[in-house]
Amino acid sequence: MTCTDVQQALPDLIDGSEDAEFQSHLKSCPLCAELVADLNLIVGEARELAESEEPPARVWVQISNQLRSEGIIRDTETVPGRPVLVPAPARRWNAWWLAPVAAAVIAAGAYQLIPRKTAAEPPQVAQQQAGHVAQPDANQQATQGPEVAHPPQGTQSAATAKPSGQLAQDRASAPASNPAQSAAGHPQLAGNARIEREISPPPSAEDQRFLTQVSERTPGMRTTYESQLRAVNGEISETQLYIQRHPGDQDARQHLLEVYQQKTMLYQMALDHIQ
Amino acid sequence: MESLPRSRVVTVVVAACLVSVAIAETKKEFRYTVSPDCNVSVDTQYGSISVRPGTTNEVVVKATLQSDLAEVDNQQSGNRIQIFSHLFQGSDQQTGRIDYELLVPPSATLSLRSSTGPLAVERLRGDLSLEGTDAVVDIHDVSNAHVHVNTMRGPITLTEVHDGHIELSSISGDITMKSVTGPLVKANSGSGKISYDGDFSSGGDYKFTTHTGDITAIVPASTSADFSAHSMLGKVRHDFPLQPRHTPLSFEEGRAFFGTVGKAGSAVVLRSFSGRIRLKQR
Repeated sequence: MTCTDVQQALPDLIDGSEDAEFQSHLKSCPLCAELVADLNLIVGEARELAESEEPPARVWVQISNQLRSEGIIRDTETVPGRPVLVPAPARRWNAWWLAPVAAAVIAAGAYQLIPRKTAAEPPQVAQQQAGHVAQPDANQQATQGPEVAHPPQGTQSAATAKPSGQLAQDRASAPASNPAQSAAGHPQLAGNARIEREISPPPSAEDQRFLTQVSERTPGMRTTYESQLRAVNGEISETQLYIQRHPGDQDARQHLLEVYQQKTMLYQMALDHIQ
Repeated sequence: MESLPRSRVVTVVVAACLVSVAIAETKKEFRYTVSPDCNVSVDTQYGSISVRPGTTNEVVVKATLQSDLAEVDNQQSGNRIQIFSHLFQGSDQQTGRIDYELLVPPSATLSLRSSTGPLAVERLRGDLSLEGTDAVVDIHDVSNAHVHVNTMRGPITLTEVHDGHIELSSISGDITMKSVTGPLVKANSGSGKISYDGDFSSGGDYKFTTHTGDITAIVPASTSADFSAHSMLGKVRHDFPLQPRHTPLSFEEGRAFFGTVGKAGSAVVLRSFSGRIRLKQR
């Protein structure tokens, strides 16, 4: 065995191999013997390195990214997911409870769509008695084509429906305004104003828990999520109040379901950011 | 000692500021070989994402980092590219910001997410899924693609988007559509406005809903559509000579209109809880 053979076979023979030729060469070649001794020393020292001396994972990720960008290493198979570079002091949060809550929100909205019998006559019967069917007025169409719906008799006018705070009536007469946007620099975001909700029920237990988790994981987003959650809850309450007064309005029931879907979207967006 | 002219002092200060900014910013570029129908996702907490078409077999990602308190994690699994911003402790909206510019195959499927945005996509044909909290979303010149956009407060603008399923949803952001058509176009905003300027063509189903935001549609006289508009508490108005059609329900005066224009090729449903609905003729 020559020195070249030893160097080529060294990775296989370094860890205490009993190969006779290898041992014989070491006895006769001081250079190879010194090389093997140095390598054995390094291996031994490496095993004794304390865990605390391990460099942070960020260093390895940066090295890996640099090598990939230089094309030195190319991964064709899936590499492990993103490393946890900064240990989170808080407990690991399991957000799976949001999924059934979101499903419950949608189910509640779907339940609202089920028409319920009320003490008053069914809407269809009331409309038959009123004798009105929403049809455009031909005379009006010939002139200017204005609104074509006719007020039903015997049913409560929407204009007189007054949810608590008379918010809906104010909105019907005043120009609709849009919520205030906090992102600076964009005209739409800067120019919108938020309607102060008079109908805003206190957050439910699920909502409180949701906001608490948002605060823990992304504290900078809590204000945004809280304001949007309040807005959506207000919309749900307004629509529910309207349905109580107009139980036959299928559009209102459909609208309620869509508002619940928006609340689900809000939960889902938070879940996407938190996890 | 003679004092320096003031203009020279200002010039030196400005140059120093520019140099410091340049030093603070770090630019990185990643390239991936893919097939034309690749799948690319970008997820960043803070920062913009803009996507333009490139070659058919390569994805190029250019990232601009504002500090070393954030880094770009990336992985490729065959035809699937995932890019995400990793924020370290102590980072905030400024220091954790990473802006991305992507060149992707025109048929690539995209998934973009950013809290602050903006998000911009142009001239692509692959499916798009965009999500942002306050992100301003701008999509234009997209065809034959499904487009899904969700924001909380960020405004959404679509221009020249055709022949795909389009679903836009915002809790309080405005939604603006200019020349947007397709077999299915849905837009929903709680308190934001919805504005549509187009012709409701392609024989599609169009549905715009708001809670308090106004809905305004500006269409040409040659539009062919079946219109159904109802605001529970707001006013509705149209400029068209609608052909009447029967509806089983009755509504308060000024709250709804139903009728057809032309051959009623498309179905247009406009609904609002208390916003105003206006159908204008261009």
